[in-house]
Amino acid sequence: MSFATIATKVRAGEPLSFDDGAALFHHPNLMELGALANEVRERMHGARTYFNRNFHINATNVCVASCMFCSFARLKDGDADAYTMKLPEAWDKLQSRVDAGEPVTEIHIVNGLHDGLPFEYYTELLAGLKRIKPSIHLKAFTAVEIFYYHQKYGMTVEEVLRRLAAAGLDSLPGGGAEIFAPRVRQRICADKCNGDEWLDVHRTAHRMGLRTNCTMLYGTIETPEERVDHMLRLRALQDETGGFQTFIPLAFHPENNALMKLPGPTAVEDLRTYAVARLLLHNIPHLKAYWVMLGVKTAQTALWFGADDLDGTVQEEKIYHMAGAETPQTLSPDEIIRVIVNAGRAPVERDTLYNVIAEGEALLPKQPFRRTGRRALEVVS
Amino acid sequence: MMNPASSAALPGSATLQGPLATPGGHTTAPVSETVDDLFVLGRAAQQAARHANGGRVVFTRARQLLQSGAWRGPRDAALTYIEEADVAAAGGLPAARDAGARMLVATSPELARQAAALGMDCLWRVRYRASNSTLARRHALEHLAAVLATGQVIQGVMPTPDGEPLGLDTLRFFAECRLRFTSIPHVVADFALLGHRLAQMSLAFGADELHGPIVAERALRLGANAGNPALTRKEAALLVRAAGLNPCERLSGGVLEDCAP
Repeated sequence: MSFATIATKVRAGEPLSFDDGAALFHHPNLMELGALANEVRERMHGARTYFNRNFHINATNVCVASCMFCSFARLKDGDADAYTMKLPEAWDKLQSRVDAGEPVTEIHIVNGLHDGLPFEYYTELLAGLKRIKPSIHLKAFTAVEIFYYHQKYGMTVEEVLRRLAAAGLDSLPGGGAEIFAPRVRQRICADKCNGDEWLDVHRTAHRMGLRTNCTMLYGTIETPEERVDHMLRLRALQDETGGFQTFIPLAFHPENNALMKLPGPTAVEDLRTYAVARLLLHNIPHLKAYWVMLGVKTAQTALWFGADDLDGTVQEEKIYHMAGAETPQTLSPDEIIRVIVNAGRAPVERDTLYNVIAEGEALLPKQPFRRTGRRALEVVS
Repeated sequence: MMNPASSAALPGSATLQGPLATPGGHTTAPVSETVDDLFVLGRAAQQAARHANGGRVVFTRARQLLQSGAWRGPRDAALTYIEEADVAAAGGLPAARDAGARMLVATSPELARQAAALGMDCLWRVRYRASNSTLARRHALEHLAAVLATGQVIQGVMPTPDGEPLGLDTLRFFAECRLRFTSIPHVVADFALLGHRLAQMSLAFGADELHGPIVAERALRLGANAGNPALTRKEAALLVRAAGLNPCERLSGGVLEDCAP
């Protein structure tokens, strides 16, 4: 399949096939690929580039799963670096920000699969956060966690989601998808839900009116064809439900885990994956360059390779930093805006559901950007 | 001399229009002032780099003469050099040459001229800051253009960030250097300053040489060594190959050897 033929299909708005996707991954000219992905990005969003004000809560890293790429999980309470937050400790993370007048709009909550906590721990976690700030958007629990609760607490997936939504759940993050291909999943994360089960959780959530995100972990042992297969399965579900908001390619970080002998994807591979994702996933509106794992510089460059979203201020990210990410724990809104403007893009502050909170003049700094403290955006190497 | 970027049609629909080069081998205005589209700029720079070197990216095991007179780098290095900032403390350029330095990494025309007179090669650092105004950047480029106009031979131009660089800003600047200075054979990415990821991306924007510590074997990046930017030969070759280019090591005497996959 020639690049010109694929470009013609893209410009005509035709969905690309498996073979097209594979050909794009093997296309030698990164600039050509990036330019085509950028065409689609600009057709969908112009120069607009989204971010939000959010923070993360990882309430526990105790996890019964033993995914080989994970540096975050600990098998049981009491293991070195294992932790499980008391609920007031988790709530205080929001309360302290509310007290400080920080205008956060979203909390991203992802946890280990803890085998010793009651289901009420999670519902109370959500309800307590909503009591502190009813307008906060709770994007919580990956499909892997939902599926685990379904198995552990003997409820249907729908019942799990219904009870969590009643406690305050607003949407689901996209984590845990890893790579759907059974060959890879069997080797890197055999003891959690499989690809079909992951998709079923999202299908159920979409049917219930919950919006969700989707991800793909790349850079371990998967082939380019397995990445294409993964994306096409997401695209098929999106055709069915329309419930995905954002696709987030997640680069494997090879530190402190069982796959540390692998080199991890290079920056050019990151850009290529973003570009192919934008071209294949024509029906998923947003593509997020998650700066925590890409690094700020690569994430900024990805804004020209298909991405239209930089995630948010984040704060207290643990999962990627325990895997060796050298990015800071947070970026201020001013820093994010500066990165976007420097890329020649137009910053748009959004909420989790992509409603616009501010854009244009309202976001442009009143005075030249000055970083507080001596912290670098990332360690150079 | 015509700039190959301006004279040849580019792949894809976008084409860089207009003459960008002057007889001196450099353009009169920063390219990024006239070419907004990142991909037009990138493809033009990439094409110019391929025209200059056929898609090869060179790295060299180098040894640096420090201001203390000590050396840093492997004894069997293929290249020895001194940074301009270290020259005075090392006793001047002739003393550095006598000590074994064969290349100057320069930022001023006086020392570059002196290096040429001593038979030393010269690599030129063009400094930039993420917050630079267009005027400041134009000034830095014109400074080098003026040096070239005197007939000074520069083997490579190395964009060098002052402070922490931003991604796209850096890539545009690399493309700019490639397209402006067609008489300079190499555009060099200092991976110790840029980081491996940004250095690799710069290879798609006109860079064709990696500068930084290449070691036979490196310690694990743990603890105090976590920020060590050194690459092994294999890592350097993988970085280049993953960018779709052909890695090549410069050996003693300037001999280039392709790195087998």
